[in-house]
Amino acid sequence: MENIEEMGKILLLFISIISWMVRPPLKLRLIFKQMEFVGVKSIYVVVLTGTFTGMVLALQSYYGFRMFSAESLVGSTVALSMTRELGPVLTALMVTARAGSAMAAELGTMRVTEQIDALSVMATNPVKHLIVPRVIASVIMLPILTIVSDFMGIIGGYFVGVMVLHINKGIFVKNITRYVDLGDLYNGLTKAAVFGLILSLVGCYKGFNTTGGAEGVGKATTEAVVLASITILISDYFLTAIMF
Amino acid sequence: MIELVDVHKSFGTQKVLDGLNLRIEDGKTTVIIGKSGGGKSVLLKHIIGLLKPDSGQILVNGIDITTLNDRELNEVRKNFGMLFQEAALFDSMNVGENVAFPLREHTKKKEKEIREIVDERLRAVGLPGVENKMPSELSGGMRKRVGLARALAMHPQIILYDEPTTGLDPIMTEAINDLIINTQKNFNVTCVVISHDIESIFEIGHNIAMLYDGKIVEYGTPEVIKQSDNPVLKQFLSGSLVGPISIM
Amino acid sequence: MFSISSEAKVGLFVFVALILLAYMSFRVGEYGFGLKKGYFVNVVFDNVTGLDKDASVTIAGVEIGKVERISLTDGKASVTLRITPDVKLEKDVRASIKSHGILGDKFVEIEPGTKESGYIEVDGQIKRVEQQADIDKLLRELGTIANDVMAVTASLKKVVGGDEGVANLRAIIQNTRELSENLNTVVKQNDEKFSIMVSSLKNAATEMEKTFAALSDITSKINRGEGTVGRLVKDEAVFEKLDRTVASLEEISDKINEGRGTIGRLINDEETVENLNASLKTIDKSMEGINRYISKAEQFRTFLSYRGEYLFDNSDAKSYLNLKIQPKEDKFYILGIVADPRGSRTTYDRTTNGTTTHTEEWDRDQLLFNAEIGKRYKDIVLRGGLLESTGGVGIDYYAFDDKLRLTFEAFDFDTDRDPHLKIYADYRLFKHLYLTAGWDDFVSDEGNESPFVGFSIKFEDEDLKYLLTSTPIPK
Repeated sequence: MENIEEMGKILLLFISIISWMVRPPLKLRLIFKQMEFVGVKSIYVVVLTGTFTGMVLALQSYYGFRMFSAESLVGSTVALSMTRELGPVLTALMVTARAGSAMAAELGTMRVTEQIDALSVMATNPVKHLIVPRVIASVIMLPILTIVSDFMGIIGGYFVGVMVLHINKGIFVKNITRYVDLGDLYNGLTKAAVFGLILSLVGCYKGFNTTGGAEGVGKATTEAVVLASITILISDYFLTAIMF
Repeated sequence: MIELVDVHKSFGTQKVLDGLNLRIEDGKTTVIIGKSGGGKSVLLKHIIGLLKPDSGQILVNGIDITTLNDRELNEVRKNFGMLFQEAALFDSMNVGENVAFPLREHTKKKEKEIREIVDERLRAVGLPGVENKMPSELSGGMRKRVGLARALAMHPQIILYDEPTTGLDPIMTEAINDLIINTQKNFNVTCVVISHDIESIFEIGHNIAMLYDGKIVEYGTPEVIKQSDNPVLKQFLSGSLVGPISIM
Repeated sequence: MFSISSEAKVGLFVFVALILLAYMSFRVGEYGFGLKKGYFVNVVFDNVTGLDKDASVTIAGVEIGKVERISLTDGKASVTLRITPDVKLEKDVRASIKSHGILGDKFVEIEPGTKESGYIEVDGQIKRVEQQADIDKLLRELGTIANDVMAVTASLKKVVGGDEGVANLRAIIQNTRELSENLNTVVKQNDEKFSIMVSSLKNAATEMEKTFAALSDITSKINRGEGTVGRLVKDEAVFEKLDRTVASLEEISDKINEGRGTIGRLINDEETVENLNASLKTIDKSMEGINRYISKAEQFRTFLSYRGEYLFDNSDAKSYLNLKIQPKEDKFYILGIVADPRGSRTTYDRTTNGTTTHTEEWDRDQLLFNAEIGKRYKDIVLRGGLLESTGGVGIDYYAFDDKLRLTFEAFDFDTDRDPHLKIYADYRLFKHLYLTAGWDDFVSDEGNESPFVGFSIKFEDEDLKYLLTSTPIPK
């Protein structure tokens, strides 16, 4: 029952975000600040996870495909997995851990120290001022980060496949271009945008509704990460079912 | 003029405001006293529309703010300034940006003009030249003064103070009290102050209201209050453990 | 340290990421950014099994486009190809579906044509389509079929050598021809069945090849004098017996020609022939009646089957020719003739001087008749009626989508003898060809029991039409 109520509240928050989003002026400076926070500052972690995921995928699928002499499919397996699933999902999970939790903590602290009330008192809508820029930034930056993750994953797979396992370079690349098409790439990016919406919405909701001082902030942060991660994974299934 | 008519508010099963009536006069300072956790902050938040009453009316200049939508409420709020208990400075911004925030939000003033206003307000609260400090670098008293500077930035008609002197040393308390009095005199604003500090309330208040059990049990000038034989008020002013106010 | 504004950092990052996206898009999609270029060309295939949207279109292995969509037009697969603008297709290009890779992906291969023929315009049609089968391969296979057919003819010549055989065959063929003509009126014209026939013949041919190889093996063994049969053949005495037999056979055939004996009468008597014709006409009429009666033509099916069993212990073959009429999915009638090497049995009881002597006579010329009625219950068929000219019942069990049939038959119930029991299995190798093996008369007390192997061919009426009308009938 509580979960359903919470879902309803998140949905209401989403609707009010939409309604504030279309009401000018949009505070570009705040959006850019959040884009820097969500996007630019996540590059390092996304590059790292993307590269190593691609590498381990190449290694694992190599041992599998070797059993029936289909090593040449390693490249396309890595590329398909990265573009369709792992790129968007891993990026979203990493950004949830990094930025989603930070959103919850930051907004939670602002709530318990009455900064959000202060905003309201100064006739500034806190949803517009605090949440809208975060959601917009996340929805824009997640696909961008996913591009980086996809690319680094394929590079990582290429490194392991071609440099370490000595799969033919030409075939490796050719099979990627043969079996992956633009649809895979773009659907993955669409997913990433949805994940961006989810993680920012959940992070902001949890932070915005924090009660109970410093302890409450900690709780809100944890809950935000858990709820966002679960929602991302569940919605991933449904998005995949719809798209592919 | 602010008028609260038969305001009820409960959080869950706990009744905080129970048929409260209060009239706050223009151009005067009204101090609301009462025990901790007795609903004083809640009352203040009702006046500025942060909380909505379960029933009752809250009239600001004749408009019932409980019936307003967000946009209309924001228009009303532009007449208010509020100093929060812990100042509630935005810790992602420096002092200058904090004070300039309402100006940037609601006016089309040029940067230079804004900087001048910020400088002037900070001077008025006795903190010239701290624009570039972050709130975390300031002491509690300094933060409160910056908060007051921010509250004054838009020249509001009504200023709400939520325990402005709590947790400050006597000198700083005196300084803040002077600020409240001077601001009131200089700009002829309406002030609502929440306080526990007995000495301060008689110093700054034109009118004093005692909140007890969700109602205003006593209201009057400091002289009236001092001579009141209301047992609740008497116990509160004397700080006695014996009396109708229970300690929990 | 320079302080870079958020806007600059974000801008730089987005710019770099978009370059990566552009790069990946270009590598992955031939046309970049999802912009699709190229013109459409249509081609119609009979069958595009395995071909998917976005499959490659190549000339000499170079990709020149993709399959844009596949749709069904008049029962054929209409495939729309998107061809890169800088490739022009001649009007006489030939399209075919090939497969490559470990996964056996299908793609469309285009063989270039000649410049003189001009070029196909946008939304044009590729007229020359090579269907999945290869013409050369088909010709080669036809060659082997011809050889096999010759071999079959040669063996048939041996089997049907002699006037009697010819006469029998002629009678059968005569009847069959009439039957076929009757069937012609019943059956609708359908040219496409011919290609199915050819493919099944192809299948049958390979199988026959194996059979004849085995047969020639047996023949050579016989020639070398191995085995019982071999010794028999090599034995001079046997030949004398054989000579005598042949002589008597000639006598018999002479008699037949003169109109003596049952068969002779049957064949030479004009009346009989007329009777037969009349009865066939009646059948024809009644079949027409049935067809009219049953509005759904597809419900009414007729099958003609030939079945040959080589009986090991008799070293002889038993043949069946059956017509199965199936008016409903689960109900059928079988009419047929059986040529049993043991012939037809007739028993005589003679009472002389108070003692009854029991004699049996075998008429080897006598054909046996089948007339059965059957009903199918899911995988089980129960049938009964005249089996090899005696009363009997049979039960069939079908398995593996009717590919395998197990049969048990019991007939010739006589108080003096054990009944004739027969058990065998049929297995469908190809569409019309079945392999069979079993044990005939396995409780016989007269030494008639014999295991057998053989094959059977089964055609449905629509197939028959083509087979029969295109077979020249010897006069």
